Amino acid sequence: MSLDDLRNKILNIADTTIKHSRDLNIPSTEVFVLEQSTTNLTDNKGKVDSRDGLVQGIGIRVAVGKKLGFASCTGFDEETIKSTLKQAHSIANVSPENPMFNGFVAETKMSKEGILDPDIPHLDADDLIEKCNIMNQEVDLSDRRIISGSFGANIAYQGFAIATTEGCLASSLQTTFGANSYFVVTDAGDRKTAQDFVAARKVESVEGIAPKALNKAISSLGSKAFGGSEVLPTIWEPRESAPFLAFAFFNVFSGSAYVEKSNPWKEKLNEKVAVKELTVIDDGQKPDTEACQSIDAEGTPKQTTAIIEDGVLKTFLFNKMYGDAAGFSTTGNAQRGGIFGGTPYENIPVVGPNQMMIKEVAKNLEEQISEIDKGILITGTPIGLFTANPVTGDFSVTCNDTFLIEKGEKVHPLKSISIAGNYFETLNNIRFIGNDTEQSGWPIDAPSMTFLNHTISD
Amino acid sequence: MEKDYVFDLLNKAVDQGHKLGADFLEARYDDLQLTTINLTNDIIKQSSSINRKGIGVMAYYQGTPGYSFTPELSSEGVAEATKKAVKLAKSTDIRNKLKLDFDKIKPIKDHIEVKAKKHPKDYEFDDKLAMLKRGVSAIKEQVDATSTTGMYGEMYGEKFFINSEGSEIYWVPMIVDMRMVAVLISEGQQAMGAEGIGASKGLEHFDEKGRSPEDFGTIAGKDCKDSLNAVAAPTGKTTTLVSPQMGGVVVHESFGHLSEADFVVTGQSPIADRVGEQLGSEHVTIIDEGVPEQGGLFFPYDDQGTKTGKTVLVEDGILKGYLHNRGTAKKMNSELTGNCRAINFLYNPIVRMKNTYFGAGNLTFEEALEEVGTGIYAVDMSGGQVGLDGNFMFNCRKGYLIENGEITKPIKNSSLSGNILELLKYIKGATKDIEIRTGYFGGCGKNGQNGLPVGLGGPNVIMDQVLVGGAQ
Repeated sequence: MSLDDLRNKILNIADTTIKHSRDLNIPSTEVFVLEQSTTNLTDNKGKVDSRDGLVQGIGIRVAVGKKLGFASCTGFDEETIKSTLKQAHSIANVSPENPMFNGFVAETKMSKEGILDPDIPHLDADDLIEKCNIMNQEVDLSDRRIISGSFGANIAYQGFAIATTEGCLASSLQTTFGANSYFVVTDAGDRKTAQDFVAARKVESVEGIAPKALNKAISSLGSKAFGGSEVLPTIWEPRESAPFLAFAFFNVFSGSAYVEKSNPWKEKLNEKVAVKELTVIDDGQKPDTEACQSIDAEGTPKQTTAIIEDGVLKTFLFNKMYGDAAGFSTTGNAQRGGIFGGTPYENIPVVGPNQMMIKEVAKNLEEQISEIDKGILITGTPIGLFTANPVTGDFSVTCNDTFLIEKGEKVHPLKSISIAGNYFETLNNIRFIGNDTEQSGWPIDAPSMTFLNHTISD
Repeated sequence: MEKDYVFDLLNKAVDQGHKLGADFLEARYDDLQLTTINLTNDIIKQSSSINRKGIGVMAYYQGTPGYSFTPELSSEGVAEATKKAVKLAKSTDIRNKLKLDFDKIKPIKDHIEVKAKKHPKDYEFDDKLAMLKRGVSAIKEQVDATSTTGMYGEMYGEKFFINSEGSEIYWVPMIVDMRMVAVLISEGQQAMGAEGIGASKGLEHFDEKGRSPEDFGTIAGKDCKDSLNAVAAPTGKTTTLVSPQMGGVVVHESFGHLSEADFVVTGQSPIADRVGEQLGSEHVTIIDEGVPEQGGLFFPYDDQGTKTGKTVLVEDGILKGYLHNRGTAKKMNSELTGNCRAINFLYNPIVRMKNTYFGAGNLTFEEALEEVGTGIYAVDMSGGQVGLDGNFMFNCRKGYLIENGEITKPIKNSSLSGNILELLKYIKGATKDIEIRTGYFGGCGKNGQNGLPVGLGGPNVIMDQVLVGGAQ
């Protein structure tokens, strides 16, 4: 099926479902239709698994005044869709009113789509094997320090459509390609892991991924204990500063948490929350990211939103319901979860970031390291990030992949350390924001960054 | 859908797969109904009624698997999925160096239905919402919370399985669950209380002693209020008594995953090739079981049609074995354990846990407190993370100080961390009684298959040398 055919198919199903809704005298309905084709291949130390198939489903929200009901079904069987409409309607009828609800999206308006690769629908497992072969051939797995080498590749294409009885009929398409290499290495009782990957909206070269991951793992061997406890700067590689900041931002940027009064920044709008060098954008229109779509998950056109500008909090992120409730407009941040690998049609829209971007300033990673007298370089994602206290901002995490920095140079890798601090203080203790942004695999991309005053101990 | 029609569709997949050159096939159909209600601050924040059904076909060609799925419940849909599964198996065989074929076994014909006294399908949405409102009222009687949340979840349905050996299995999964959460934000601090538990039962679960919405709401509200006066936990390496639910999470997340044989055969697990080795103290026994008599998740057959049993992973501190699918069991010359599971028809089954728990010890609860002397009692958690090297970090959201062998004050949120392979050496004992829980909310995540229902539990376990992090 071509991408155009896919778009026509899902729009037609969405429109037909709205017609069924009218036939059933349901006062107000929103239909979310998704179809996705996916093929995955993994090779874990020679053990190959493959999976492909068709994901189809519909999620239906019904409103009876301010009373809401939701039901979903798998597949596009017409009788099943009708019974799902009735189910959503019956739930709405017995639900209490939701005072925040102010109607579904009422018009068809779309922003631009991201990159679409017309070749992806025509690829299959043979093409993924070829990608794995390329990654495999670039590394020498006979090195006795390698316990395990894994390779994986995947392709998918999908479309979703939204229709409402109020008049919205819109759709968005995506194509994606991903590949990754992962290694487990050991030497003299030291055990390290590392991975590298590409995640793109079109098929890309996989050259260099495996050697980069393997070199990173091998270079982390020979770790030594930190020994003690000390307050030091931490320097984070781009792919590690991203998840570190993601957990700082999820709650404080949330418009739903703002409305529900659980957002610790609820009184901070237009106030300084970070150093003036920090600007954070939520970008739903960067064409090479997965988040780039013409509409969000309830039919609002996606947009680009400055959340923190020069250290000042400018807005929160909203979907339609929470935007209406807060007296703001939606920022096009409705999400249903489960995109790629999941079943978004089984979820109601919630608020979530698109692709957050940290505005680059200056200095790459090596330049930042060269200016630190003593500090810790973070090269792997710590565990425990999400245990941070969302109200106070306190965090305490452990990290297996770090290096000691002394007099501007990497000295040696460290055994597991804990890193503790406070997120809100950290945002005001940013020493450097780099200029070397990398794709992180998280809903935020960031350059390397250096933070002051983290407590390091082992 | 008629059972005969479904089995006929699945049989067609197997027949067609053989004609296309596959050596062995498994075909399954899941038809599940899931209902969720989230009542936050007296508003339904989310309510959903999900019908999830579809067919998955696994084809094996010379020991190489290929999996395809379809929501199209027709001869044409199944034929297409079968064709794709066989094509995947054949085309990827050239790259597959670690072939996990398996021996044929006697076919199984079985039909199992859970007899729920109060099947959730016989009760209206309103009835379930009313239960949540009762629980939330109980919270409000205890504390003037900033926010209250009541969550209800149910899952039931049908699972069909057939394979090339002629096995034909039908069984009915079921879980009901309810949680109550109270949050109080005051002067820049957050206090929280939460309580609730699920079961592989009908709604009669909430008629049992200590399981009513009022019971859950009262405990959540009281814990929220009490935690306002919580003290900081002692930091550093601390003797910790962990509750059944907390110990269950620790053993599942940090040890159980290391024992999954797909990680073992690829050498990724740090306990690979260590069967017979003394990994922990003599007080450590770890079990994974499909249908434990103590409750937990009812899981009689895995998604490869293997009858689940009781697998002793560690006995008296000695590693006894791993958790297997049919292929890894043959490769490692092990008994079948019935651990091949998929979150839904969209995914190929992989090695997963069932009900995982520490074995019982010989202490009473009072004797365990006395043995701890000074330390903490970690009762419940909210989130955690582990690495494949055995490192773990869990957030203890409910706990108490133990002073002179007695529980004294509640402690603030604390992180508990360590390496399970080190920690097992410092387990000093356990209580006699075992409790195993399961639930609709949460669940296990692996390889993108997140939220798989499992059972967790055990006795209260004394762990020395747990690294307790600062109060949050």
